[in-house]
Parts: sequence; structure tokens; C-alpha cells
Amino acid sequence: MNKIRLESVSLSFGRRELFKNLTLEFSAGKVVGVIGRNGSGKSTLLKLAAKILKPDTGEVNIHGAQTVAAVTPEMKIYDALTAAENLNFFAKLRGKNINPAELGRRVGVDFETEIRAGDFSTGMRQRLKFAILLAVDADVWILDEPTSNLDEAGREIFLREIKSGARGGKIILLATNDAADLEVCDEVIELPAGGGDFS
Amino acid sequence: MKLSNFLQAAAIFHKDFLVGLRRRAAFAAMAMFSLTAIASMSLSVGGILIEPKLLAALLWVVIFFAAGAGISGTFEDEAAAGTLATLKLYAAPQAVLFGKMAFTLASLLALTIFLLPVFLILFDAAVAQIFLLLATILLGLTGIAAAGTLTAALTVSASTKGGLFPILLFPVTLPIFLPAISLTEAALTGAEFAPEFLLAMIFYDAILTVASSILYDFLD
Repeated sequence: MNKIRLESVSLSFGRRELFKNLTLEFSAGKVVGVIGRNGSGKSTLLKLAAKILKPDTGEVNIHGAQTVAAVTPEMKIYDALTAAENLNFFAKLRGKNINPAELGRRVGVDFETEIRAGDFSTGMRQRLKFAILLAVDADVWILDEPTSNLDEAGREIFLREIKSGARGGKIILLATNDAADLEVCDEVIELPAGGGDFS
Repeated sequence: MKLSNFLQAAAIFHKDFLVGLRRRAAFAAMAMFSLTAIASMSLSVGGILIEPKLLAALLWVVIFFAAGAGISGTFEDEAAAGTLATLKLYAAPQAVLFGKMAFTLASLLALTIFLLPVFLILFDAAVAQIFLLLATILLGLTGIAAAGTLTAALTVSASTKGGLFPILLFPVTLPIFLPAISLTEAALTGAEFAPEFLLAMIFYDAILTVASSILYDFLD
């Protein structure tokens, strides 16, 4: 079964020790919510789990799962390309053939437009990032504040797709400051303010 | 390189081509630098015939600095736009390197196609051995693209990219320039040339490409 295991992970930024001896396991088919105050390390925990960030000590092992996709504030799309070109590019990187129009319908946006992504509203860009995540069909979904900048309809679509992804066997980690997002979570991890010792 | 990496590299090349075509900033910087440099040098010599050796050296100096103006943005522009993190998440490191290297080579070839006729006209120079000149340029640009792409990746997180890039690139590409200048001189004059120089350039290009491939994996 696909799973991600963090084993005795420690990570510091300068003198600030964010995580010490953190051990966690994330299984496929579940949405795990990560909550905590600003600076508690929600985004950092997601990056560690996705191996985007390396721990100072300890190990992160991804069992079975092969591919990771993410919707995070840091991960940007290509402003000079249209939505369909962005989708086709990222899908090609993962060897997938996709239909941009169909993905557009799933996230509630018309992706057949010739408008470049740089001219999209913040909410539409967020929907495009989520459509890219759906297009690449990865085993692990890293979602950092995925519903920020979305209207109510957009939030409903995202949460429905997240539930559907979990049913499809994805490992889904969802960091959020919005309690409404937690309705799709099977488990919730609350990180202490400022990080801490998890021994 | 695995087939999947090759397809990824092709996708990155295509994406860079589309973005480059729409933004044109990198190509415009290279073209404007080379035009300004050639025009000012041509005007300053005022119609005096220049020794072929010096002419060949001038051509490669212009190519080097024009390339520097464009290549440094290969990774820098992506990092500034925030897309580099996304690209690294979805693509294999080797695919990123070779996709960008191929695009850099294509950009340099396009620049040279634009630059060479202007250079020859303004300096009133003729080419006696066109195939030798084309082969020399192709091999020289391949080496610059290989070394330049890795250097651009190395300097992307440096705070003084503009100054660091040419400083790091020049010593690595120097072994390309020496035979390239000699071969370009032979191509301009029609004199006999040393085939060993062509072989040396092929060999050094191969070393640069393999070394870039090996070293790039250590950058993350």
C-alpha cells in the first residue's frame, strides 16, 4: 500500500528548531489535514513529506507512490502560456494525454480561451493550478491552502475533487487555516505554535 | 538519458520556445548587445581592413558576451517568476538540464544566423571556407550552451548573478575559443587548417556535456 513515512525527522532554520524527532505516517486513500498557527511548520511539513525539502536528520520514505503533485502558494504557473498550454506542458512532463476542456469543466473554468495565464484572476490561477494537479494524476497530492482565493463554488469543487482523489487511492496532505476545509479530512494533525519536540 | 527524460526535455524545449517567442526579452538582449558591439567596433576602425586573426577573435568575443547576456536568464527568469520550483517538482533534473541546454543552443544558433551576416558586411570580410566556418560555429556554440546552462543553474541562487555568470563561464569556455578563433581565421582566409582543432572542440564539447549532466544532479 502506498504510504509516506517520516521517521525521527528534525529540521531547524538557523537556531530555531522547528521539528525534533517527528515521526508520522500518511496512508493512501486518506486526506490528512495539517493545521496550526502561522509559523508552526504546516507548509514545511508538507514539503518534507513530498521530499521537496530535506530534513537535517531522520528519514522520509515514500513507499509505493511514484509521483508527487502540489498546489502551493510558491508553485507558480507560466504566465506567458495559455491555460491549455500550461496543462499540456505539465501533463507531457508526466507522460499523460489530457483534454484541457474536460479538465476545465472539472474545475469550473473555460480553458479553451486564448487568454494567457498571466491575465487570469487569482482565483482562476488557483483553479488552473488545481487542474494541473488533476492532469498529472500523481500518487501524492500536496495541498497548501488550496482553497484560498476561491469563491464558494470553487471551494465546493475543490473539496469534491479532493474527496474523489482520496477514494481513488491518493495520499493527500492538506495544510489549511480554514476550518471549512477540514470537512474532507479523515485525520487532522495540529502542529504546536512555533514547532516543537515530538520525542 | 531515459526515453521519458528525453520526452520531458523535448516538452521543456517546446515550452521555453513558446515563452521565449512571447517574451523575446532574452533574444532582444543578445541581439541588441551584439549589434551595438559590432556597430561600434566597425565604426571605430573606420573602414581599415582588419587582420583575419583579430577579426575571428572579435567575432567570438561578441558571441561570448552576447551569449552571456541571454543564457544567464535560462534559470534566473524561471526562479524570479516562481516557476522553477514547479518545474523541478514535475520534471526529472536531467530533463530540465537538457531541455534548457537544447533551447540555449537553438537561441545561440538563431543569434548567430542574425549576427554573422551583419558582422561580415560591416567588417567587409569574405568567407573562403563556409562549411568550416559553420562547423566551427556549431561546435563552439554547443560548448557555450553546455557550459552556460550549467553555469546559469549554478548562479541562480547567487546574489550577484550578473557579475558571477561571465566570471565562471569564461575559464570553462576558454578551451573552446582558442581552436575556434584559429579555425574561424582559416575559414575567412582559406588557409589550411588543423583538423586536430575540430577534434579537440568535439572532444571538449562532449566533456562539457557529460560534466554538466553529472554535476547538475548535485545542485538540488
